[in-house]
Amino acid sequence: MEKVWIAFAAALAVGIPALATAWAQSRIGAAGAGTLAEKPELTGAIIILVAIPETMVILGFVVAAMILLMV
Amino acid sequence: MIIRMAKVEIVGPKQDLLNTLDLLHNRGIFQPDPHLMEQVVLAEDDRLQTLVLDENELRERSFFQDLQERVTTLLELLPKNSNGSSRLQPLPVMALLDELVDQHLAAARDQVGILNECRRNAEDLQHDLSFWEALEPLLEDLPKDSNLELFGVTIRDVRQLQNLDSLLQERTQGRCYISSTTTADGTLIGLIATDKGTAGNLREALTAERVPELHLPEELAGLPLPQRITALRAQLTIQLNKCNQFELRLIDMSRRWRPIYRQALAWLEERLALYRATATAYTTRLCFIIQGWMANDEVDSLHDDLNRSFSGRVVLEQQVIIEEDLDQVPVMLRNPGYFAPFEILSRLLPLPKYSSYDPTPLIGLFFPVLFGMTLGDIGYGVVLMMLAFFLARHFPAHTLASDIGKVLGIAALYTLVFGVLYGELFGDLGETWLGLHPVWFDRGKAVVPMIVFSLTVGAVHILLGMTLGALTELRRHQPRKALIKLAMLVAVVLMVLALVGWFYPQSWLSTGPLLIGVGILMPVLIAAEGLLAPLELLKTMGNIISYVRIMAIGFSSILLAMVANRLGGMTGDIMVGILVGGTLHAFNLLLGVFAPTVHSLRLHYVEFFSKFLDLGGRRFEPWQKRHP
Repeated sequence: MEKVWIAFAAALAVGIPALATAWAQSRIGAAGAGTLAEKPELTGAIIILVAIPETMVILGFVVAAMILLMV
Repeated sequence: MIIRMAKVEIVGPKQDLLNTLDLLHNRGIFQPDPHLMEQVVLAEDDRLQTLVLDENELRERSFFQDLQERVTTLLELLPKNSNGSSRLQPLPVMALLDELVDQHLAAARDQVGILNECRRNAEDLQHDLSFWEALEPLLEDLPKDSNLELFGVTIRDVRQLQNLDSLLQERTQGRCYISSTTTADGTLIGLIATDKGTAGNLREALTAERVPELHLPEELAGLPLPQRITALRAQLTIQLNKCNQFELRLIDMSRRWRPIYRQALAWLEERLALYRATATAYTTRLCFIIQGWMANDEVDSLHDDLNRSFSGRVVLEQQVIIEEDLDQVPVMLRNPGYFAPFEILSRLLPLPKYSSYDPTPLIGLFFPVLFGMTLGDIGYGVVLMMLAFFLARHFPAHTLASDIGKVLGIAALYTLVFGVLYGELFGDLGETWLGLHPVWFDRGKAVVPMIVFSLTVGAVHILLGMTLGALTELRRHQPRKALIKLAMLVAVVLMVLALVGWFYPQSWLSTGPLLIGVGILMPVLIAAEGLLAPLELLKTMGNIISYVRIMAIGFSSILLAMVANRLGGMTGDIMVGILVGGTLHAFNLLLGVFAPTVHSLRLHYVEFFSKFLDLGGRRFEPWQKRHP
């Protein structure tokens, strides 16, 4: 039973930040698409901006890995 | 790297100004900067003033501007059929050109006017003909009776057609016939046939109902309908031939004169640019002074050029770049062979300031390593190398595709090297088929070592960035800021060592003293930087942890590759297995190129460069000929 809770905790640790990242990327992506219509030269900057919220899910992944491997 | 710039002042007699500007214009290595002179004027010398052109120069400029406008108008009228060039030197024949351009402009305007009218007539005829031709098949339904009068009409819609039919039947006591069709452009048209006796009545009814008859040139109005169509076709052919003749005359004129006028226009543009450039010069009663920027290694050659051309009358002097100038110095980037293609990645950022660093060599050094660490697969590395080879060979050098090919080639090489270290060939296919084993560790299983490796790379990268940040402050003559950055660097090192000691206890690595060290440094940092200092420390630790993405993306890539191999194997058929596995590997490779690129760049732009790079530099835009 304990294993189930550990797996559940790890899933939450990576799942919730994944949802948050998806939400942030959807907002940034929509704004970025609008920006690109006006200023195509900002393509590189927009790609980087879209990638920025992924830090959340990466950190979530680290926590999940720590839960699975160290608990 | 950022090319070393020189701040120079050019001084000479006033009468040599235009020739000096012409020489600078031809060399294309000098960027005038009137703001530098503004500081001098404000600071010390009120005898200096901006140049005011004398009467002759103003007259000449006005003449050239007027001529430029007329030549531009003429070139717009002439067809662009000739790419020939002329060796004519416009200056000696300027007076003649001034006269000729008026004659040619008048002739070209006439020709273009006639041609346009001819084309309009041809279009009208074509339009009329298309309507009458649409009615032609309806004639076959009518009896061949010479007593019949035929009308072509344009009808608004089907409803109007029905109303018109009932009205005309009533007015002509049933002695009329109406049929309709639709033209190619969707217009509904009708053919009305009646005997000549009731034609007058019918025409009145059409006028009263505001149903327009199809247009027809007056001279064809009396002809029977079939002959009208033939005559219209003949008229259209004549009109088109006329258009061709007028067009050929214009083309001939363009072939003879366009190269000459293009050459004259280029000369006029350069000459007027010289006059505009005089606005950057300051003068005293007898002399002119221009200040600006140029690459340091070109100063001697320009100095010699000016000496040779003006026999020492015009002098170039290099000045010291003072601290206040640093934000004004324009930036020119130039990178040697290996690093040059990486400029496609550094161009995504704004230019760095002159006192900062060119990010290109740093991207050239670290981007392929981070890319290879993330993707790390022999098979993918070989495929990417072939793609890179194709791009670099197939496209001309220094084009975007060729540069992408070169960057991809270097990244693919690192992918291959890390593939050997991880023992991966299309995921675990190498291990299954060829007995390939990792030289270093299997990242599909060794998750923790891979996390530690990624964090170590992150720590080294960020600490390097912080060191460069301290050096930048030293270069900007800001020793206090450099010391603060150095103290922050030490605090981060202590924090990292404390974390290492906590996770991997060593006898020589005691966490307590390290944290005490951070505790001592913190009040110093808070005193210097305010309450943001602890936040900055935490942010830097977050930046290092962000490098875990190298492991996370690589882990997902190897798992996808393993899934591709398993699914391919489960099909039970070699061909289907290769197809399924190949498709999934292709998808994984696509992701494997996109994700490491974006994330490696992000690690550079957000985590690494934020530690030292000062963006917002001004591009070096030397004053040069638009028509070399």
